[in-house]
Amino acid sequence: MKKDKKPIPPPDKKGGFTPAEIAALAAAGADPSHAICACRGDMDSACGYRDAWLWFDEKGFTAALGTEEIIPSKNRKKRLEPKIVITEVTHFPAEQIEKLVCERYVSTGRLLLKDDNATVFAIGFSISRIGQFDRLTTAFNTWKETGKAELPPEKDEKEGRCKKCGAPCPPDKDFCRKHDKKGATAVRLFSFFGGYIPQIAVVLLIMLSGSAVSVFLPQLSTRRLFDDVLSANNGVTDPAELMKALGVLVLSIFGIRLLNTFFSSLRQYIQGSMMPGVVYDIKVKIFKAMQRLSVGFYSSKQTGQLMERVMRDANNIYWFFVDGVPGIIIEVTTVIGVMTAMFIMNARLSLVVLLITPLIFTLLYLGEKLFRNMHHRTWVYNSRVSSMVSDNISGQREIKAFAKEDDEYARFAKTSGDFKKAELKLALTEATVFPLAEIGVIILTAVVLGMGGVMVSNNQLSTGTLLSYIVYLEMLREPFEFLSWVSNWWSRCADSAQRVFEIVDSDAELKEAENAVQMKELKGDIEIADLDFEYEPARPIIKNFNLQVKAGQMLGIVGRTGAGKSTIAGLIARLYDPKKGSIRLDGVDLREIGFESLRKNIGIVSQDIYLFMGTVADNIRYAKPEATMDEVIAAAKAAHAHDFIMKLPDAYETRVGSGGQKLSGGEKQRVSIARTIIQNPKILILDEATAAMDTETERNIQNSLTKLKAGRTTLAIAHRLSTLRDADVLAVIDEGTLIEYGAFDELLRKKGEFYKQFKLQSEALASAGILDTAPENGGDHEEDN
Amino acid sequence: MNTNSISPETLKTEYVSPEDCVFFTGDGGFTGAEIRGEKHNRVILKRALPFGAPDDYICITDVENKELGIIEHVGAFSQEQQTLIKKELSLRYFIPVITEILSIKEKMGHFYFDATVQGVKKSFTVKDLSKNVRSHGENIDITDIDGNRYRITDFGSIAPRSRRKLEPYLY
Repeated sequence: MKKDKKPIPPPDKKGGFTPAEIAALAAAGADPSHAICACRGDMDSACGYRDAWLWFDEKGFTAALGTEEIIPSKNRKKRLEPKIVITEVTHFPAEQIEKLVCERYVSTGRLLLKDDNATVFAIGFSISRIGQFDRLTTAFNTWKETGKAELPPEKDEKEGRCKKCGAPCPPDKDFCRKHDKKGATAVRLFSFFGGYIPQIAVVLLIMLSGSAVSVFLPQLSTRRLFDDVLSANNGVTDPAELMKALGVLVLSIFGIRLLNTFFSSLRQYIQGSMMPGVVYDIKVKIFKAMQRLSVGFYSSKQTGQLMERVMRDANNIYWFFVDGVPGIIIEVTTVIGVMTAMFIMNARLSLVVLLITPLIFTLLYLGEKLFRNMHHRTWVYNSRVSSMVSDNISGQREIKAFAKEDDEYARFAKTSGDFKKAELKLALTEATVFPLAEIGVIILTAVVLGMGGVMVSNNQLSTGTLLSYIVYLEMLREPFEFLSWVSNWWSRCADSAQRVFEIVDSDAELKEAENAVQMKELKGDIEIADLDFEYEPARPIIKNFNLQVKAGQMLGIVGRTGAGKSTIAGLIARLYDPKKGSIRLDGVDLREIGFESLRKNIGIVSQDIYLFMGTVADNIRYAKPEATMDEVIAAAKAAHAHDFIMKLPDAYETRVGSGGQKLSGGEKQRVSIARTIIQNPKILILDEATAAMDTETERNIQNSLTKLKAGRTTLAIAHRLSTLRDADVLAVIDEGTLIEYGAFDELLRKKGEFYKQFKLQSEALASAGILDTAPENGGDHEEDN
Repeated sequence: MNTNSISPETLKTEYVSPEDCVFFTGDGGFTGAEIRGEKHNRVILKRALPFGAPDDYICITDVENKELGIIEHVGAFSQEQQTLIKKELSLRYFIPVITEILSIKEKMGHFYFDATVQGVKKSFTVKDLSKNVRSHGENIDITDIDGNRYRITDFGSIAPRSRRKLEPYLY
């Protein structure tokens, strides 16, 4: 949708409310004009729906409760004006509040004002507002701690107001239901056809002439054939003359039909050559937009949903434009042409037709509305059956292992049975509704035949005219049927188009700074200061994290599962931006560094490896396409991948990825390590990079990486703590906070969390017979061999 | 595999009984608990089966999300204790209740609901009804595009006019 009109600003833009809100609050004795941060709420302290306005300034925190009504304007062009009545204002001096706490529940949240241990005030809110409340909380607590009025970055949360009237609307839309015009989507969709105007003009011309011919043809093939040639009353008695007239007529009909077929083929040819180009443009546009979006976008959407958008939605649009749009043009012109011809032939009969046809059309339209739900229901059940088949195929190993074949069959039979029932209901309803419409057509034909017959016998109408009239009636049936369900088709297409435009219009969460610093070569100093991060508001993952790594150092990150280790790695690679605090590389904030410099200088090997479709060699040289084969082999050798690659029948030219040769987890990790080695980054992040390998291969790779780490900063995350023995320094993380920091032996001597984890691992390995001695028994910590 | 090497706390399920767990209203109005003699000024209660068995298998954690124990059946506690437990649960699991559906209109794949929620007229939008309308027993939960959840408690008991409006979309 074109974002041409300025929306009503969200309330906490620039830390304030709208003028109407400020006026209403002022009338109630509150002054939000000096607000540092403000937000709108929708509940009171008992979670009842009330409109709320909350803000803090130098004086303290204020909460106002009241109502906001949207009054429809008499002037339709004018935006709706909110009428705000404030009924309750509560103020808390800053010194009375120690901190704000934002709590997240299932469908609601609560903001608590805390003074030491006691809560002085609490207010509820709908979960959709948690981003705003969390922002207010963070801003207040930062201000309270540091005295600085720093506003956390605003999340892309729209207030959900219609651009046209200001009425509430879904946040993913710019207009409310009333003003959400399909037309705007249509205009934008047609813009995809901008480069094909001459072709479209020719296609339209052919369509219109085709319709004209089909309207004209009954005049020739029925009326004239009957009235001028076959009828005994035409005055021609000479058989030779009759044959000549017949021959001319047959040849004319043949010629016109041939010409029509030729133009129809030409239309299909032009359309056929134009449409793939349009679909190509749409798919490429979506794909390009998707490449621009951040990792967060992909985590929030399912792969299936995105695939649907690229493939199915583009195809929905394609089919509507290939079949639907030409259909509309042809059928509408046919209806107009046929009705005109019918009126010219006989106005009285045509009036009867005009009276009855809207009834048939209404019946078909209502039937279609009824079917829409049924179609959707069958579509849902069908998707469930497909998902179940796919689930079953993917989980065959588990099904066999747990001997669950019979249960799976029963599950499938139930879902499939639901689908059968839905289809049966649809088929039976169709079998009832369509004959009703058919009966309408039969009645109409009978009425026309009866009335026409009387008129023919009274010499008010020729037999040929009546017959061609009946042909015209038949010609109306198809357009009526088509036009009754094309609106549903267009709804599907517009729905797909909206999803496509949603991606095309999405703003990347991570943006490159306007004057981004391009750093050709990094030294590799990393400085993390006061870092806070959360994937979802009010669910902190990293809390007040501080760390420094000097260039060339190897930092090992240790912690339990879910402690936030991989998140730290992702933040350093700027896959996400912190909520608060900063990460600096060589003294420059990550957000100020150009994406290209960043990606070239930071390499990640993660535990979830993805190999792209292509050969092994293609995958290794993914980050450096110009790499020579010597470099590829050297990188593969360093990653201890060379040996297994050479065992594959097609060696480096073995096709991997989707549909290619299956590699084991450890093999994939080695290819991935080779891919990063060839990139030669200044900062190397190894996130459980060797977790899927046996200890011997892991040790060999560790040795290679140790050689490679010279001159580069390495961050290694590992569960097997012994693999981090070579690290210069270790950071132990728990619940997103740094709890211990120091060299390997130093941390063991400290007997803290690291020691505890190391001891548990050593004991586990010792009891499994892998390690003879636990650390306190004087072991040398070499549990791997 | 030698089970001695596995930390015992990962295997043990600590059920609490009314004898070793007493709830109280602590500072600031929060629910606290004294579990096996250890006092916690604030505890968080979470349902393991929020749809199927909302009053069974209630997990008690501290504010740091460390599990302190599990209540197998809330009904085993005294009436007074049950009131405290349910008050805490109702806060966390509060879902606004729909009492009347005024209209459901579909446009471009969005379903626009006008409904009376908690006595207030409210409009919300739902996408993909087959995923966002979930029935469990007689209750129906509807999740809108903002992630807000609404509940119809006992679908059979709401006005037939409201029921008819939603029925075509229940899969």
